[in-house]
Amino acid sequence: MSYRVGVDIGGTFTDFCVFDEESGGLHTLKVLSTPEKPGEEVLTGIQELERRHGVAPGDISYFTHGTTVGVNTVIQRKGINLCLFTTENFEDVLEVARLKMPDPYDLFSRRPVPLVGREKVFPIPGRILFDGSEEIPLDEDAVLEALEGVRAVGGDGVVVALLHSYRNPSHERRVIEIVKREAPELFIVSTSEVWPIIREYERTVTAVVAGYVQPRVSHYLGSLQDALGKAGVPAEPMITKSNGGVMSAEAGKTRCAQMLLSGTAAGVIGACQIARMAKVENALSLDIGGTSADVAVVRSGMPQYGIGEMIGDFPIFIPTVSVTSIGEGGGSIAWVDPHGVLKVGPESAGSNPGPACYDNGGERPTITDAFVVSGFLGQSELGYGNVTMRTDLAQKAVATVAEKLSMSLEETAEAIIKVGISGMYLEVSKLVSRYGIDPREMSLVAFGGAGPMLACHVARELNMRRIVIPLTPGVLSAFGGLIADIKNDFIRTVYLDLDTTTAGTIRDGFAELREAAMTWIRDEQGFGGEATLLHSADLRYRGQSYEIDTPLELEWLETGDVAAIEAAFHREHERVYEHADEEAPVQVINLRMVVVGEPPKPALPLLAKAEGDPVPVGSVEVHVDGGRQPAGIYRRGDLRAGHRFQGPAIVTQDDCTTCILNGFSAEVDEYGNLILEAGE
Amino acid sequence: MAIDSVTLEILKNHSRAAAESMAFTLYRTAHSAFVKETEDFTTGLTTPEGETFATPTELGATWFVGLNYKNVIDLIDHYDEGDICLTNDPYSGYVCTHSPDMHIWKPVFHEGEIVCFVVGHIHNTDVGGAVPASLSRTLSEIHQEGVRIPPAKILRKGEVNDDVLSIMLANVRMPEQNWGDLKAQIASMNTGERKVHDMIAKFGIETFKEGIAALLDYAEDQARAIVRDLPDGQYAFADYMDEDVAEGYPCRIALNVTIDGDSLVFDLTGSDPQIEGSVNMPTGGEVRHALMMVGLVYVLYSLDKKLFLNSGISRVCRCILPTGTIVNPEFPAAVGLRTLSVQRLQAIIFGAFVQAAPDKLPASPASGGPIMNVNGIDNRTGRRVVASTGPIVGGAGGNPHEDGTEGSGANSSFLKNTPVEINEAEVPIKIVRYGLRPDSGGPGKFRGGMATVMHFVSQAPNTRITARNRDRTRFTSWGVLGGHAGATSQFLLNPGTNHEVNLGNTDILTIGPGDEMLVACGGAGGWGNPFERDPAAVLLDVQRGFVSMDSALQDYGVVIKDGAVDEAATTKLRASEPGKVNGAFYDYGSGRDAFEVVWTEANYAAMTELLAELPVHWRFFVKHRVFEAIEALDDDALKGDGSEIRTVFADVIARYPQLQMSA
Repeated sequence: MSYRVGVDIGGTFTDFCVFDEESGGLHTLKVLSTPEKPGEEVLTGIQELERRHGVAPGDISYFTHGTTVGVNTVIQRKGINLCLFTTENFEDVLEVARLKMPDPYDLFSRRPVPLVGREKVFPIPGRILFDGSEEIPLDEDAVLEALEGVRAVGGDGVVVALLHSYRNPSHERRVIEIVKREAPELFIVSTSEVWPIIREYERTVTAVVAGYVQPRVSHYLGSLQDALGKAGVPAEPMITKSNGGVMSAEAGKTRCAQMLLSGTAAGVIGACQIARMAKVENALSLDIGGTSADVAVVRSGMPQYGIGEMIGDFPIFIPTVSVTSIGEGGGSIAWVDPHGVLKVGPESAGSNPGPACYDNGGERPTITDAFVVSGFLGQSELGYGNVTMRTDLAQKAVATVAEKLSMSLEETAEAIIKVGISGMYLEVSKLVSRYGIDPREMSLVAFGGAGPMLACHVARELNMRRIVIPLTPGVLSAFGGLIADIKNDFIRTVYLDLDTTTAGTIRDGFAELREAAMTWIRDEQGFGGEATLLHSADLRYRGQSYEIDTPLELEWLETGDVAAIEAAFHREHERVYEHADEEAPVQVINLRMVVVGEPPKPALPLLAKAEGDPVPVGSVEVHVDGGRQPAGIYRRGDLRAGHRFQGPAIVTQDDCTTCILNGFSAEVDEYGNLILEAGE
Repeated sequence: MAIDSVTLEILKNHSRAAAESMAFTLYRTAHSAFVKETEDFTTGLTTPEGETFATPTELGATWFVGLNYKNVIDLIDHYDEGDICLTNDPYSGYVCTHSPDMHIWKPVFHEGEIVCFVVGHIHNTDVGGAVPASLSRTLSEIHQEGVRIPPAKILRKGEVNDDVLSIMLANVRMPEQNWGDLKAQIASMNTGERKVHDMIAKFGIETFKEGIAALLDYAEDQARAIVRDLPDGQYAFADYMDEDVAEGYPCRIALNVTIDGDSLVFDLTGSDPQIEGSVNMPTGGEVRHALMMVGLVYVLYSLDKKLFLNSGISRVCRCILPTGTIVNPEFPAAVGLRTLSVQRLQAIIFGAFVQAAPDKLPASPASGGPIMNVNGIDNRTGRRVVASTGPIVGGAGGNPHEDGTEGSGANSSFLKNTPVEINEAEVPIKIVRYGLRPDSGGPGKFRGGMATVMHFVSQAPNTRITARNRDRTRFTSWGVLGGHAGATSQFLLNPGTNHEVNLGNTDILTIGPGDEMLVACGGAGGWGNPFERDPAAVLLDVQRGFVSMDSALQDYGVVIKDGAVDEAATTKLRASEPGKVNGAFYDYGSGRDAFEVVWTEANYAAMTELLAELPVHWRFFVKHRVFEAIEALDDDALKGDGSEIRTVFADVIARYPQLQMSA
């Protein structure tokens, strides 16, 4: 026997997705997360998998894991007592940031309080210039003085952030040597090690977030390795990364900056895989949970990457699967403002107390309660039997709002859903305009606990015609981790004009990146399979202050084909901004390299073919579109490839409910994905 | 309201989605780096009558929530489907407020009827005129500030009108960039139009029409509810710019706010005559001009962040803007640098409202920091570089609950800086220091935010530095309820050397290799008595390098010994010096206090009253003669009751018989 196990730890639940290599079967499981004892839920789940599905720990041959321990450490501000060494006279880099405030209309708007207070920032005299030359030598005595400062504030660790270290890291390296010699007990990391990009705030905040969480993440990964070992799991755990790939847990201990958004990124990787299986080229990935909805763009089956993605309050600038988080989910609370206008959110009942219908103390109506009142929810147990729906409590909660609006319960429920959906529409509209894409030409891949419940409403609002609900919508991040590639990113700032005189420098730069990439995947990751190298560069027109990551072909680099590189940039610029200037000089800011190793992928099982029509297990009246309609109830497990039925309908499964509205037809594809199409 | 409240909320989200989508489209497809860097643009949707019912909040300038396009819409006599109009003339309808702002609007038709307009503007880097970038405080006529396009169709039934376009492009310095940005504006109009058609399809035309009117009513109702919570009364406040023109005299903007139930009146009577420079605010005397509403929107939104932002808000307010003054100049006064006066006006509005709600609103934000530009040859490439090295700004004022934000905030929250490493890569300068300026924030129970400071060395000869909007070297940001005023701004050449020059409010100069420049913004005002500040917070400020030991002792009465607060000594010191608080509501700082020893409220009011009786073209001239004459008076001739002004004024008038002949 041999199993591949993907695990994703979320705020409330920890999800498991198991692939049985012999039978080709998929199993899923959710257990409650134990944030106070991270790792314990993994062991609970492994025991539960053995009990329920006979998965012996000794038979687990591949294990991937996404964790929020890093991001939660930032959100809860429970990282180490970190200090920062900066170039003298530039100590306010975190305080000043890039100046801009989150809400420019609000006189009280504030930037988040930095993770390192200004009193823990110590100056280091010495200066490297833009070209990498040393203007003023490093003041080594000042390093000792700064160490005194660290001791005085009880610091546990230090980030070293000196100007222009992306170009010449020698001062940063020397500081690290001195600190390691003088204070070996301190954790220390430099900005050039974490992610060596130009722009001092961006480089510093990335390293500070990473440094702040690293000892904790490292400790967590160590205990996970131990626990898995004790449980008899032979596989060396792999960790899912923000870039949508995986790396060994051992590597994660020192490179935790790369795994801060591991769970969300893996969800998008899962959505990309679902899109490819459903033969969908372009899609919006929509992961809706209790408090938020994560939206991502899938193009040609691939995720989009962003920089400046948020870790709690802070942006980090290493390549990350781009996900926009909308503060609205199944738990968003409905209320009525003093002018009699119905609002939904931003407050959320979250997972505790959760919606009123969960009978966990929640009294205010949520979107989920509105679905209960309208008859769509409450038809089966949710959360693997952990949650029972109380229709009466949902009605009671919705009634509080209905009274203020002088509307019936059902009308109010529908109004809550529509207002909530219009809020999501607003945020998704911004996202698609930012990318310049038209959602009407895309499919919606909906997952997460509340995604399948809201998918038809969202699609209607956005005029999207096609929805894909994966077979295991509740555990798609765990699934995404299972199929992710081993992957790492490398960057080198060159800041050059692109012309024939610089082609050699660019070629040499890539040669160095290539060497680093191969060392990583062969030596650090011990991966012996075929490794793919992807070359690209951050290019811009001279005078611009933003770059476009432009994919390049190795041949252009080797032959110094500057014209081909320029042409590729003009095309990318045209695609992204709808115009290009073929006469304008082009600058190369960064060279980038991605190394990808594909571990053997599970062959996903095909669903048995349907014979005849699907048989509903029941029928219920739902209130939708202003009236009552009968809706068939189907069990997801009963559905077979080729089954077709019409909305309104309800599809229930262990971890979520799919609500299919009138006008949508449903079809089950060969992998078990539920494909919903809007009628004309 | 006729439309049901559920549909209204959904329509509100769709309207905002349309405005936000327009903004993202414009931002994404704009050509100039300036638009991308400064986000100095807007988009919006208006009713057929021109009232803005939806604006974006995520991208773009914060100034034009209250903009009403009616005047320019009416200046076009007929619209066809596919038309797009534009204007950048501040004196055609008073929608555009300086010539770099190209405003554009497109009617959206449904079955032959105009059901709304999609609108917006971009600040162009240059629109021609006397100086590159079209803005300088030395300009005094609108004609010097670039080409002016009165309202005209740039697209007729979807076809580009080359007659208008060619005139515009022939008159600007970087025509390709202007045309590129205009194309982005057109793309954003089309996005907005498509979104409006989607909304009509979803909601039905009648609901749409009713709904957009209801959205204005809704914002108005919300705004009225906020105003109703403020105590009725009259709240007067005035403040100055250091100079009306280079090396000139102070320039006052005076405001009297009347809160009456749920309505407001802003009376700007008593403000200075229009300036022979370019800091005038072109409002046309419109009772709800957008420039007058910026500060109001900030105040109301800060009091209730659920406020939906559209021009319904401005219905609660009416302005009195006397003609021939800085707040309503007559043609052809230059208006290019109204940024400085509008920002001062915003803080004056804050100053009036803080009297009405001192427990809810902050002290004055910082100002006086410029947007720095460097124009020089890069030794490394031999190329001329013209680049912005970023804004030098300051923090927010202290507020009833916490300190003002450091480095930026309040009404400068939308600005972004340029990284030191990028500046050194792109511009022929080396930066010696960039960060917060100690002791710049006004002390208070909750202190003002610290200002930023940049100190750099020029690397090349003939490097031209422009520092647009320099101010606050004399009149500083005010504190309230015992909080102190912020520090003055600074602009020094070769600081700390024997050839140091204090550049005051200079905004342009040429420096050479090795020359050092230090530019620092003024600090924000403090809130509440600094002797009541938690000593631990003062200690932390000292440890952070924000507050000096001297200031801790002098301003805060906190004794720090060996890195800790000496509790006993602090208590004793604080008890012995309660006299630090003089009981005044505002602390204006020493510059203004000294000025107002001579220029009392009665004196200044007497002067503006007398000037208002003169022909407009004489006022600025006579103001300067009056200032000269008052400067020449002996101290004992100063009574501060307006009488010396009347005497001096009569003397000045008598000196100029030509004035008698003037109409």
